[in-house]
Amino acid sequence: MQDRTYYVIDPEGKLRCRKCNVKLEKGRAKFMYLDNGFPVELPVCPRCDFVYVPEALALGKVLSVEKALEDK
Amino acid sequence: MSKIQERGSTHVYKVNKISKEEMDSMVSLCVYEDPPYCNAACPLKLDTRALMKAVAEGDFKKALQIYEKIAPFPVLLSQCCEAPCEGRCRMGEVGEGISIRDIEATVAANGEVTKSGGVFRRKKRQTVALFGSGLFALFLAGEIEKKMYPLTVFCEEADIEAYLKSAAAFLDEQSFAIELKRLKSKDIDFVFGCELSPKFFEEKRADFNVLCASEEAAKCFFKDAQCDRALMYYEAEKLVMGSGSGTMDAAFGAKKAALTVDRLAQKLSPANMRGEEGAVDTRLYTDMSEARELKRVAKSGAVYTKEEAMAEAQRCIQCRCEECMKSCAYLKHYKKHPGLLSREIYNNTQIIMGDHQLNKPMNSCSLCGQCAVVCPNGFDMAQVCHAARRNMVSTDKMPLAPHEFALLDMLFSNEEAFLARPQPGVEKCKYVFFPGCQASAIAPATVRAAYEDLSDRLEGGVALMLGCCGAICDWAGRYEMQETTREFIKNELSKLGDPIIIAGCPTCKKELSESVGGEIIGIWDVLEQIGLPEGAKGLSRPAAMHDSCGARGDEATQNAIRDLAAKLGCELLETEYQRDESPCCGYGGLTMYANREVAHEMAEKCLERSDAPYISYCMACRDRFAREGRESRHILELVYGTDAGNPPDISEKRWNRLTLKNNMLREIWGEESEMAKLPYELNFSDEALEMMDDRMILKSDVIAVIEHMRETGAAIDDEDTGYIMANHRVGNVTFWVALTEDAEGYTVHRAYSHRMKIVKGNG
Ligand SMILES: [Zn+2]
Repeated sequence: MQDRTYYVIDPEGKLRCRKCNVKLEKGRAKFMYLDNGFPVELPVCPRCDFVYVPEALALGKVLSVEKALEDK
Repeated sequence: MSKIQERGSTHVYKVNKISKEEMDSMVSLCVYEDPPYCNAACPLKLDTRALMKAVAEGDFKKALQIYEKIAPFPVLLSQCCEAPCEGRCRMGEVGEGISIRDIEATVAANGEVTKSGGVFRRKKRQTVALFGSGLFALFLAGEIEKKMYPLTVFCEEADIEAYLKSAAAFLDEQSFAIELKRLKSKDIDFVFGCELSPKFFEEKRADFNVLCASEEAAKCFFKDAQCDRALMYYEAEKLVMGSGSGTMDAAFGAKKAALTVDRLAQKLSPANMRGEEGAVDTRLYTDMSEARELKRVAKSGAVYTKEEAMAEAQRCIQCRCEECMKSCAYLKHYKKHPGLLSREIYNNTQIIMGDHQLNKPMNSCSLCGQCAVVCPNGFDMAQVCHAARRNMVSTDKMPLAPHEFALLDMLFSNEEAFLARPQPGVEKCKYVFFPGCQASAIAPATVRAAYEDLSDRLEGGVALMLGCCGAICDWAGRYEMQETTREFIKNELSKLGDPIIIAGCPTCKKELSESVGGEIIGIWDVLEQIGLPEGAKGLSRPAAMHDSCGARGDEATQNAIRDLAAKLGCELLETEYQRDESPCCGYGGLTMYANREVAHEMAEKCLERSDAPYISYCMACRDRFAREGRESRHILELVYGTDAGNPPDISEKRWNRLTLKNNMLREIWGEESEMAKLPYELNFSDEALEMMDDRMILKSDVIAVIEHMRETGAAIDDEDTGYIMANHRVGNVTFWVALTEDAEGYTVHRAYSHRMKIVKGNG
């Protein structure tokens, strides 16, 4: 479980942190919901750790996993 | 504002709010699974309804398969069975019952004979011997062969034709030929020309595991042979035996005997575990309005032709109780009768580990109670679903997601937007007006006009209470929250000196009667007394009246509303499902939050009754019908000449409540309460507004994101879209906003949310 990454998004240099003025990089993050955790790789600011969740991810994979967990 | 605690998924199982026994007694009220009358009357348990359907559709092959399940010799049975089914056919009550036996005869004569594929069927190991002939023996031979026991028949007859003749001498030539062919195709060993003597029996008995005989043969073997008619068993000699006084009696006797053979072969007591045998009672309800063709189809010859049999079978109304499913969009959606759906929902509440697949169905019922009224037996799906929700909450298995928005909305009504004040200049008011949260959210001007009218025209002072009655947490099954809400409202009422509550909404009236008690009347009752205010005017076109599910069983309220409508000069149309039978608009039970599709189907079901404008007396109904594009008015809008117009979105519903409170505080009670003004311009694209309403994202959620971004500076630039992307977690939800910034402020272009928390690193 620990080694598996459920979702990977590469920022491809198109996202920039406004606070730190640096480009977001692909970084490790974790989704947590109802006592469950899922490792993912998302665009992350290397300085301030801001993690970006794109709309398609939030309304797609994230939503379906939420629904599955809610009915556990 | 208050938050609601999200559940964990590994909580300890706590308490059951409803026992298995209580559930079983509720489920037993549903008669859907009761057999139709014809089937109940048949000792052989022929699925007559299915057989009639197959014939009506012209599928004689399938019809014969159904018939063969209970009749090893269909032609024989159909020609001489006494047909107890026909006497119970419900069609007989309004006209002539279906000629079931004649149809069976045509099926038996015309259906394709099912091949008993002897080679492929695996025989059982226990062997059976059957001595003697006659109708009972023939039927029993057929039953035993069907049960796959290797069977040897010992008879005096010289050949198989003589054997069949001994049982069915009355068959005409053609019928005899069919049954002879069928008998020959059966996997039975015949030993013809036997002398059925006690000696012969003694010689053979050790060679078989189970022994059977016709009554005649049995009496020849044992002078005193006598069987127990329930088991067809002569226990002293371990002999399965019997006869029949008529065809049905012989066929039923053979069925009972075959079951005894089965039990004996398994070395089990023949008296136990036999299940339900023979004809039974049934409680099935049948809507006789389906009956069209009351007269029997005449036979052109001795038997029905296939076409005649089809026409006769088409008269069958296929007795089935679907009263609730006809009237309820929810049950129709899930295509399950309530007995079955309830059992599944109850089982869902008992799952400790694993998927709760019935969460959504359980949360999709509007708890409106219509089923209990239309069901001839009073089955109440609301009771089941409500208890199940409370069970899920009590065991901490209830997901918060489907109901959180509504619950937070209720907290908003009872916190930020709550208002309780006595009428200015009156210390202890006789009344308090409680318009209900949806009225303030959807038609604030109507609420204000109603309050001003009541406080103006009623003696003794009228206080005002803007808030939620607690129906929302009640529907969600959140019984602890319900208790808190009850205490809160009780306390606020007590501060006002426990005045008589004038409810503006039938659901509030019902909820408050059950929770805080005291004297509660409806504004409709008051208006009936004091008359309409000046300027009250009905619709110029005839309208349909939609009764509120909150007023189910409350005839006085239903009458008072109609009386008001008449005084307003409204012409009301007669529609289906009125008064106590009224369906829910989809707001009740929080259906519109848990299952939008079903809520939409509910609204459609309400609106299919008429093309006219709808008048309702619940603001939620008014709103949902307007959202479906129908001209829809709350009766109080007509009374006070205040058109609430187009339905507000979710943010406007909150804004309406807040501004109503603040405006009334300022203008009636002289209390200044500043609405917080944003220090920047905030605009929304049309796309964003539509998206937010659809995704249940409030403007206040978006503002929380922007405030957070302004405070912390946390946000990113997306080069592709040119948007600034900012986020913030409010309660259990993380909101994301795509915006652009200019000198004056911000424009919101998109918004979305997720409930999962996100953390950097591997955690
Ligand atoms: Zn940063």
